[in-house]
Amino acid sequence: MNARPDMKLLLFNLSALVDLGQAVTSAKEYADRMKTALYVITGMFSIPRAALFVYDAGRRELACVTSKGVPALADARLSHDASDLEGMPHNEPVTVRSIRDTGWFKRNAAILDRIDATVVVPLYAREEFIGMIVLGPRLSGARFLRTERDVLQVASHQIATAISNTRLFAQHAEQSAENGRLYENMRGIYHDTIRAFATAIDAKDQYTKHHSFRVGSYAAAIAHELQWSSNDVEAIYVAGLLHDIGKLSLDVDLINKEEPLTPQEWDKIRRHAEVSYDIVAKIRLPWREVPTYIRHHHERPDGKGYPDALPGRDLSDGAKILALADSYDAMTTDRPYRVRLSPSQAIEEIRRCGGTQFDARISSVLFGLIERDQAEIAPLLPVVRHTASETALPLEMDPPWRVDA
Amino acid sequence: MNNFSLSLTTSDDIVIMRPRGYVDSLGAERLEEASCEVLGQGRKKLVVNFSETQFINSVGVSILISVIQRSRESSGVLCFTNVKQIHQEVFEMLGLTQHVKLFHEEGEAIRYLAQEQQA
Repeated sequence: MNARPDMKLLLFNLSALVDLGQAVTSAKEYADRMKTALYVITGMFSIPRAALFVYDAGRRELACVTSKGVPALADARLSHDASDLEGMPHNEPVTVRSIRDTGWFKRNAAILDRIDATVVVPLYAREEFIGMIVLGPRLSGARFLRTERDVLQVASHQIATAISNTRLFAQHAEQSAENGRLYENMRGIYHDTIRAFATAIDAKDQYTKHHSFRVGSYAAAIAHELQWSSNDVEAIYVAGLLHDIGKLSLDVDLINKEEPLTPQEWDKIRRHAEVSYDIVAKIRLPWREVPTYIRHHHERPDGKGYPDALPGRDLSDGAKILALADSYDAMTTDRPYRVRLSPSQAIEEIRRCGGTQFDARISSVLFGLIERDQAEIAPLLPVVRHTASETALPLEMDPPWRVDA
Repeated sequence: MNNFSLSLTTSDDIVIMRPRGYVDSLGAERLEEASCEVLGQGRKKLVVNFSETQFINSVGVSILISVIQRSRESSGVLCFTNVKQIHQEVFEMLGLTQHVKLFHEEGEAIRYLAQEQQA
């Protein structure tokens, strides 16, 4: 190969730009990437002393991120105001000779002289000031050729972009973490509010204390068994807590009436599913299906339920689960008109009504859960540590969707 | 992957460094560190034998410039030997050869430095 010297130099510079591209995009730590980038530049132009500074707008400083050939420059900072850059080109080398009389140079002369600064390059990416490369004299003593200035400009732009991207990524990660914290807070507030409502709902009916919490837990356990996602399990749990919210509009005496209800009273009671839906649909919950589950928690596969008398094929699994959990809890707790059934009696009753009142597939999941431990309901509930006979259900119980989360 | 290694031998007061493989990343800074160590011990005659160096890029050149600087600061004598033609051209273009003594073979550099001692 007999290329002319300037062609060889250009080839070397081009291969150095490739080195730089690899350096700034490598998976290495930021500090290593910046150090390698500065080494590429100092190698490309044979410069023994140099430093790379990154702009900290908050402190109005340029902080040294890496340096070469200058001892103890690691913590060096240059004072820098936005006005210092007026008239300075973007990513182009500027001779120190031309800025020696500026306030910026005078303020920072002590550090710049340690580097023996001869050229500075203001770094810009996306029109934003990013930092400064400060270069000492070249080993050869030569001045920058026009083509070398162009190559330095390209290299500087690459470094500026790499620093900018790293910053944006860090900001994005921070923002994402902050959003996560806000979402968790919001979720906490939702659950506190929903639990407070559930407590108010359950307080209205002296016989069915903690009914909403148990329905939520049973429904969540069934959904969990059906391998629903944790978000969907959370939704069905919330639907369980709020499914009877419409009962808040009913008379306490009617809810707790021990005598048989009149047809008019039944109508009023039956309206609660629709009222519950109307209330919950107005709340912008993060679980979109909750209002529909609630509306249909008294529907039946044979289409004889209420309020919409939908056939099984038009009912969601969520509605079927909620209906079953609600009925199972009603069966296994004392009512004004009868004593509670045992779990095995309840299974028998549900089986008897299979396909008409209850969905057979969902029911079999519930049976599996109950039969896994016949004596206690507790195993039904992955994390809710109480039994059917225990009425003191702690309000601060762990939500069931946290089991495998 | 680190494709760089460095072997160090001494012959009287002359230290011979043989960078092996790729002088193209921060791993090759071992060369500068080793130079610092021996110069710090008062050994001022350094030979860098490139016979086993396969590749030198801009990062490698930057590290060699640091070695040159360290040697100059300590008033040392630095010799490069067995430099491949392509690398020699780069060293010449960038002005490195103004600050080091180039020899074809390590033995020549050792003989030169030994004479320096007598001088």
